[in-house]
Amino acid sequence: MRVLYEWLKEFVECPATPGELRDRLSQVGVPVDAVEDSPAGPVLVADPTANRPDCLGHLGVAREVATLFRLPLQAPTVHLREAADATGAATRVEVTAPELCGRYVARLIRGVRVGPSPEWLRKRLLALGQNPVNNIVDATNYVLFELGHPLHAFDFDRLEGGRIVVRRARAGERIRTLDGTERTLSPETCVIADAARAVAIAGIMGGADTEIHWNTRTVLLESAWFDPASIRRSAKQLGLHTEASLRFGRGADPEMAELASRRCAALIQELAGGEILRAPLDLYPRPPRPVEIVLTRSELLRVLGADIPDADIEAILAYLGFAPRAVAPGRWQCQRPSWRQDVSREVDLIEEVARHYGYDRFPSRLPPTRVPPAESPAQQAEQQLRQRLLALGYQEFIAIPLVDPADDELFRPPQTEPVRLANPLSEEVSVLRSSGMVSLVHTLAWNLHRGQRNLRLYEIGRRYALSPSGQPLETTVLTLGLTGLAQEKSLYTPERAFSFADLKGDLESLAELAGGVAWLEGTPAWVHPGRSGRLRLLLDVCGAEIGVAGQLHPRLAGRWKLRQPVFVAELLLEPLLEAFERMRGRLRYRPIPKLPAVERDLSLVLDRHISFAQVRAAIEAAGVQALAAVEPRDLYEGSPIPEGKYSLLIRLRFQSSEATLTEAELNDYLSRILASLQQRVGATLRGPQTAS
Amino acid sequence: MSTREETVLQQVAAPLGDITPERLEELFAALEQAFERERAVVADRKAWKQLRDRWLGRRAGILTAITDHWLKPAPAELRPRIGQHLNRLRTRVEQELQGLLEQIEAEEEVRRLAAERTDLSLPGLRRPVGTRHLITQTLEEISRIFLRLGYTVATGPEIETPYYNFEALNMPEFHPARDMWDTFYIATPAGRPGSLLLRTHTSPMQVRLMERQSPPLRVIVPGKVYRRDNPDASHLFMFHQVEGLAVDYDLTFADFKGTIEFFVREFLGPRARTRLRPSYFPFTEPSAEVDASCPVCQGRGCRTCKSTGWIELMGAGMVDPAVYGFVHYDPKKVSGFAFGMGVDRLAILKYGLDDIQVLFQNDVRFLNQFP
Repeated sequence: MRVLYEWLKEFVECPATPGELRDRLSQVGVPVDAVEDSPAGPVLVADPTANRPDCLGHLGVAREVATLFRLPLQAPTVHLREAADATGAATRVEVTAPELCGRYVARLIRGVRVGPSPEWLRKRLLALGQNPVNNIVDATNYVLFELGHPLHAFDFDRLEGGRIVVRRARAGERIRTLDGTERTLSPETCVIADAARAVAIAGIMGGADTEIHWNTRTVLLESAWFDPASIRRSAKQLGLHTEASLRFGRGADPEMAELASRRCAALIQELAGGEILRAPLDLYPRPPRPVEIVLTRSELLRVLGADIPDADIEAILAYLGFAPRAVAPGRWQCQRPSWRQDVSREVDLIEEVARHYGYDRFPSRLPPTRVPPAESPAQQAEQQLRQRLLALGYQEFIAIPLVDPADDELFRPPQTEPVRLANPLSEEVSVLRSSGMVSLVHTLAWNLHRGQRNLRLYEIGRRYALSPSGQPLETTVLTLGLTGLAQEKSLYTPERAFSFADLKGDLESLAELAGGVAWLEGTPAWVHPGRSGRLRLLLDVCGAEIGVAGQLHPRLAGRWKLRQPVFVAELLLEPLLEAFERMRGRLRYRPIPKLPAVERDLSLVLDRHISFAQVRAAIEAAGVQALAAVEPRDLYEGSPIPEGKYSLLIRLRFQSSEATLTEAELNDYLSRILASLQQRVGATLRGPQTAS
Repeated sequence: MSTREETVLQQVAAPLGDITPERLEELFAALEQAFERERAVVADRKAWKQLRDRWLGRRAGILTAITDHWLKPAPAELRPRIGQHLNRLRTRVEQELQGLLEQIEAEEEVRRLAAERTDLSLPGLRRPVGTRHLITQTLEEISRIFLRLGYTVATGPEIETPYYNFEALNMPEFHPARDMWDTFYIATPAGRPGSLLLRTHTSPMQVRLMERQSPPLRVIVPGKVYRRDNPDASHLFMFHQVEGLAVDYDLTFADFKGTIEFFVREFLGPRARTRLRPSYFPFTEPSAEVDASCPVCQGRGCRTCKSTGWIELMGAGMVDPAVYGFVHYDPKKVSGFAFGMGVDRLAILKYGLDDIQVLFQNDVRFLNQFP
């Protein structure tokens, strides 16, 4: 809403400059974004809130100014020179949809001379961003901006049957509106019709057939009140938002309809001559009952926590039009003015008083706390996880979960119904991701394609799905990925590329806080089948599978043009954090061994199909109490190791809590372990070696 | 070396014979001087070893010679006196040698370390470190401030129903205020269009929280929200909000104001000022836009604040009694306030970002800037 400073001054003797006015109005709840210059003087660019349709006209803004400065508001008064003929003798108005049209005022102006508007009027309209059309249309627009009430002028002679019917549109009824567009209507929409057809979409836009022409002789001037909800619904349905629909949609003032009609008729007469027929038709079957609201000081104190002097309360409410009457000490009976449909309760009056009294004049107090500040165990667990990820060198990213369905599909878990938008901005952001992987891979690709080769990224975010019954499911997941070099070549170090072992090691580092994980075979199609696994928590109470980790399948890597191996994982956050919490509770001190550990290396030759897990199990099966650790030190395949076999160097660590281990004991342990290895996994010895 | 000292060193190889105490004293004094003179020219470990062996060597050392030739054959009455002198000399030699060794070692260390000198101007070996996303950092900063005020942190669904996103917040269908938020709707297979949407603000959690528990309530809700805006440098169809809600039996506008002012000072610094402007939200009454003095120019006016000296921080207000109706609170007994702030905007303002898109492209060159 653009507000002309000079126009405001016609209603109130504003003492402030436009710049001052901008600040003062903003401070009482009528935001003014800027002051601009125009040929019609300074323009305040106001953006009234949705509850204040009254401020979509100069009069309403002037009332706020009058209240601000405690100055009288000079409301417009109109004296019409009316012709002897009565309106009712020349036309008829019928409202068959009173639920959509609460009031309809029709005036006839006969013998007008349509022409361009005078300079002063054109200037004002232009300054408000409205193109002048002709003196009749301009007059309706002028009054719209002046009083905030939309009007419409019909060429009376083009109205079939010379009468008006306000009704619901017929299903599929068509109308060509003023903007030249053919539109199809539905019965939810209210139309202004003549005897034959719709001639305007009520409260939104007039029809082209009955618009004012240069040769129009008689004008039927409509000033009505339409139901806000229906106007909004229709405007939205038609995608047609106009100055009229904005005002009716937010709620126009039904009482204003008559004044606006008279004001506009007088202006038309002034600009275009003609005679105004007396006794306008005014269909107003149910004028709203006056609304009485009581304001009490006790409630004002309860809400605001500070007192306001009687004089201020009374002045503010009076200037705003609430006619307060002090009926008892600290008790005012107020009457809602017709232009303030947004006010209906005591608390609304309190806001009116508060905003004009000034928010800056209220005291401030920091309320005492009621509960001791605390983070929940789950939040603490999440912090623990984030700290561990930071320590491991992972960089957090946050992605927009709306993604391309074609990408999303590649990572979507089986039997998952994705969450699609009904009205996406574009196809590429039309589905909520079914997996965190899609964002991770996208982010890795974004960086790799911009010359960033070594990445370690993680996100804690949600993935989305619909249950078979259509219920939304939001699951928080941790996704992480790494690619490139673990160590770049430098003055001091050789380079080393990330491998699956880095991913596994990082996950083991996280899993350590959760009591460890088991790695299971068999993974989804988006990971390399030979370098991936499913993870299951070891902790008995959780015991759940929490995700998948592995090298991104080369085919998918190719789709994103990733030229280097990428290692990724997605884990369910909730069971992981629950395990964190439980582990935290189980932590107990274990005494540090006082005696030194002894290490022995075994170089084994094994069949290729024997896994390290089997070797370890065979070693543990020997039942050596003092065995503290089994560590693989070297893997070798090729000459002189026979075909189909490999050699594995194992370091065993023995730790006794009672006494230093003797050579005899150690030899006994080693021979038992070797026997078990031979028996269980067919291992042969390349020759025992002592740890150096 | 003076003749007297040379002489005395030759004398240690022979018995003393009859000697006066004065003469004995002279002999030992000469020995000490001889040692002192030899010690003074020792510069390295090798010379030090030679000196030590020459004086303290078990078989051929000077002190052994004195013991063998002077002390042992001496007459009984003279022996204690010689013993005394000899002990003093030994102590002296040992102490001097020890001191000398430490001195030589210290000098050697200085020389060795000097040779190990590295080029200080060469870069160090950096290990990659993790970083937290700027949004997370900002969220944590906000949470910490409210944690101190006794607020707990809650989260809620991003896929919402119109009931929670609008209706229970006092916005029935076709309410004009719904235009404040352009909404993404979910395509529901069940064929009930519009039955699910992406929350346009974190405010639905106000209702969900009040449904779940009775006053007193002090909660903040961080999370993602979605609005169907075409993206540009300052708008994106997804961003983060922190909702705050405090409901109790005695909270007033003054408590609201005090809490918000506290937050602004904690978040933007002790000099930051707060301004409340009357505004409108269907679920607060009275409502306010909260402005803070521009952190970039301290309120003098700059590009960030469009020369106004103020930046918009959040929408807020006293909880509208109509909302209590939806959660069966007694609006005559309880009162409270709510606020919602855009986290991305705060981060952008505080750290001077020029484009909101950068936040979610996650270029590591951006992530690295905020360790």
